[in-house]
Amino acid sequence: MTHGTNHSELFENLRLELRRGSLVLAVLAALKKEQYGYTLRKTLELQGMAIDEGTLYPLLRRLESQGLLVSEWREEEKRNKRFYQLSTEGKAILKQLLGEWESINESLRGLV
Amino acid sequence: MAQELLDRYLKNVAKVLPEAQREDILQELREDIRSEVEDKERELGRTLSEAEQMAVLKQRGNPFALAARYRQDDRSVAFGKRLIGPVLFPFYVKVLSFNLGLTAVVLGTIFLALGLSGQNVSSGSMLSTSLLQLLIQFGIVTFIFTLVERQSAKNPDKWDLSGTGGGLRFKKIDMSVDPTPMPRISRLESVSIIIACTVALIWLTGVRSYPFLILGPAAAFLKLAPIWYHVYVPIVLLTVAEIVRAAINLVKPDLVLFRQVYGLFVHAGGLLLVYYLIRAGVWVAAEQAGEYARGVAITNQLIYYGLLVTGALSGAMLVVRLMRVIRGAKGGAGRVGGTGRQVMPSAR
Repeated sequence: MTHGTNHSELFENLRLELRRGSLVLAVLAALKKEQYGYTLRKTLELQGMAIDEGTLYPLLRRLESQGLLVSEWREEEKRNKRFYQLSTEGKAILKQLLGEWESINESLRGLV
Repeated sequence: MAQELLDRYLKNVAKVLPEAQREDILQELREDIRSEVEDKERELGRTLSEAEQMAVLKQRGNPFALAARYRQDDRSVAFGKRLIGPVLFPFYVKVLSFNLGLTAVVLGTIFLALGLSGQNVSSGSMLSTSLLQLLIQFGIVTFIFTLVERQSAKNPDKWDLSGTGGGLRFKKIDMSVDPTPMPRISRLESVSIIIACTVALIWLTGVRSYPFLILGPAAAFLKLAPIWYHVYVPIVLLTVAEIVRAAINLVKPDLVLFRQVYGLFVHAGGLLLVYYLIRAGVWVAAEQAGEYARGVAITNQLIYYGLLVTGALSGAMLVVRLMRVIRGAKGGAGRVGGTGRQVMPSAR
């Protein structure tokens, strides 16, 4: 029983670690189209890449400060929302990262 | 979602956010929470219950922990392993700054008096005294915060269910009668005060037996005047009173008026002590009668000016606090206990 719990805990930790590495890629890919925070969160969730707000918003700010995203406050449905989109630099980095991701996938397929 | 509940949550988030981005982050978080609540309400075809609204906030976690994730500096204290995490770190710095600042002022006064009176104190002695004092303060404050960190790490979700961990507590109020957000005293603020006062108590206990802790190298030829032994017990009692107040507010953070009135009495007590101290006229004396007359006179003169400034500032602050209490009482003292009934309007 204890062994089972340890196994599932270990798996959960490793799974989270694996997904954490893919989050930046997922967020950049989802922001090829302009979105505000909440709809971005829903989009990622629908695609099976659920991310909590406490991780997403700081990540968006970090990516913006790195010049990969641009954002602007705009009114929609009588409410001010902050919309994010990939910058030119972000598009180039996304392309490179996707290439890297494909290459990792291929390598793994060869190994398993 | 009830504006009051959301405001209270965001107010706690704001305390730990980096100042430059605070408003921006809060606006975005507010929008995200409102969107989520609206989404859930649309899905259910009704407004969310109190418990469901709490669940939305609970899912986001402790407001201080949430805010700490926005801090890219990830400030913490570690000695091998992490002792104080980014959530407690800003409060740790506040308490430490206060305690170290106070120690520095006391030491500065002593060294200035020694210098002006021409006493020969080596720079090595000054340095070792300062370092010892600062290390004692640093050690005690860090130790207590480490214990608090360990305790809060054991109960990360306690903040919103029992109302004893992170400054948020659901309280029923009638929004249709009184839409003003109900103020709360941050629990971390209460914890910080308890820690600062406990350190002060330990220090006070030590000073009585070891005047070196306050006089530094001057303890070799100076001693505290009798007035300090007369006011020692009242000072300890006032410090304990402040710890008791903070402990009560830790358990009951909505007792804002209680804190204000209680604080008024403690403050008045402190002012009375300053008055008695000023009246004494002598605060340090030579260890051997007749020696170091010039040093004693200059030290007493500096303490006198320090007490006058303290008394004037403290008096002005007391008047401000008194006016605040009177305004609070006029503006609805009954509300500040939180006894009403809740109507939760939807954000829509």
